[in-house]
Amino acid sequence: MPATIAAAALCPSPPLLCPQLTGRRPVLPELRAACAEVVGRLLGQDPDVVVVVGPGAATGTWDAGSRLDLSALAPGIAEGGRGTAIADGGRSGVPLAVGLGAMLLDQAGYRGPRHLQAVGRDEPAGACAKLGAELAGSGARTALLVMGDGSARRTLKAPGYLDPRAAGFDSGVERAIRAGDLAALLELDQALARDLMATGRPAWQVLAGAMPAPAPATEVLYCDDPFGVAYLVAYLRPREGEEGTR
Amino acid sequence: MSDPGQGGPQGVLRLGRQAFGPDRLLVMAIVNRTPDSFYQPGVTWDPTAAMERVHVVVGEGADIVDIGGVPARPGDEVEVSEEIRRIVPFVAAVRDAYPDLIISADTWRHEVAREACAAGADLINDTWGGWDTRLGEVAAEFGAGLVCSHAGGLPPRTRPFRVAYADVVDDVRRTTLALAGRAVAAGVEPTRILIDPAHDFGKNTWHSLEVTRRLAELAATGWPVLVSLSNKDFVGETLDAPLDERVAGTLATTAVSAWLGARVFRVHQVRETRHALSMVSAIRGDTPPALAVRGLA
Repeated sequence: MPATIAAAALCPSPPLLCPQLTGRRPVLPELRAACAEVVGRLLGQDPDVVVVVGPGAATGTWDAGSRLDLSALAPGIAEGGRGTAIADGGRSGVPLAVGLGAMLLDQAGYRGPRHLQAVGRDEPAGACAKLGAELAGSGARTALLVMGDGSARRTLKAPGYLDPRAAGFDSGVERAIRAGDLAALLELDQALARDLMATGRPAWQVLAGAMPAPAPATEVLYCDDPFGVAYLVAYLRPREGEEGTR
Repeated sequence: MSDPGQGGPQGVLRLGRQAFGPDRLLVMAIVNRTPDSFYQPGVTWDPTAAMERVHVVVGEGADIVDIGGVPARPGDEVEVSEEIRRIVPFVAAVRDAYPDLIISADTWRHEVAREACAAGADLINDTWGGWDTRLGEVAAEFGAGLVCSHAGGLPPRTRPFRVAYADVVDDVRRTTLALAGRAVAAGVEPTRILIDPAHDFGKNTWHSLEVTRRLAELAATGWPVLVSLSNKDFVGETLDAPLDERVAGTLATTAVSAWLGARVFRVHQVRETRHALSMVSAIRGDTPPALAVRGLA
């Protein structure tokens, strides 16, 4: 069955995307705006279902009602703290990246069907690609929201301090996204990604499996590392006439 | 403290040859033998400046000096031999100058702790949550004390990255109790063991605020609680204050922590902390005012 990915959006997954977690001052408004815009474009494709993919401890699906438990990140906050952030039917413990993806959909006002998919942080490339192909081959017109980050070791002040390999790793990812060369993402060195605290690696590889050749048209909306972690926001569309079956 | 794991009243804390009841609030002055610590980097890198700092803080009322040779933040590797070179001769010099001053060695490495204790240190201040499992045996060997801290399981000199806890205070309590139990098993004198939630270590600002808010739960374990708040990032983020504007926030946190049961305060500003703590002691009714003549003439 041909893939039926209507479009894909790529967003990073730092907790600071969540406005409740960052205090009174606005933090990275341009990053948040880019995420909102790319999710808006994704939903503009009028998909049958939105699949959120993000790295987690293990591969598995989460109930569509699952939401990020803000109390684990910010005990004591009045709004959405102490377990109240979990929607009906959800269970606690949804991985950060998946929960933030669900939050972006909520922020966009999306009420349609969603599928929350965690991909194990140690899942090898082949398994990630296979998962991507399965998600794309459901027969439904699917929008993919891929949550993942580049290296957290880009500067002296980065969470993981400076690793000189980080810049090359991240620019390779950026180049692949800009060129629509998703196959290159499948070649990423798993051990290097782990060393560099690049948590997005398995999610990107799911994306590569979901959108095999030909190369999609891509647009990068944000690419920066304001806190020493590589954040990339991008929109990917199958080229005209090449989208799979409707 | 017959069964500290189950909680109980605060008891006597012994450091060096001194014993302190639960009402005594102790100031531990930071003396960094580093060129690159986060606060006023390198200010006591020179040994003469470091000894001058000791004279000053003793004059300001410090009960303990905490001598460290490796910054908490990531940076250039400091080998064991270099850490020993940085702090051990200095510990010996301070011991010579002040025979009764309580000296703490700020290190996570047992090799360094051993040399420091041999040179006269009374306490091993391990900020990194017992990463080196042999610290307890060193403390036991020398009859020294040990600080058992919570660093969220992070390796030494690493920063928190998106850390989450089902209940951070419960995690702190369990971790520090386990470390205290391990120290007792290693032969450390129980009255010489402290616990430290280690604000900022393996924690974001929300976590450090929560730990402060619920510090009484840690005091309720019965183990003396040490807090290290001084000019830290959670103060800076809360107030949106750069490094040189965090003293008031530090002192506010100090007062709240003292009120909730902390007993030892690791600080840069000794005089200001002493004042804050004396105020708390007086408000609690533990110590009378230095002078009370207002309205009494």
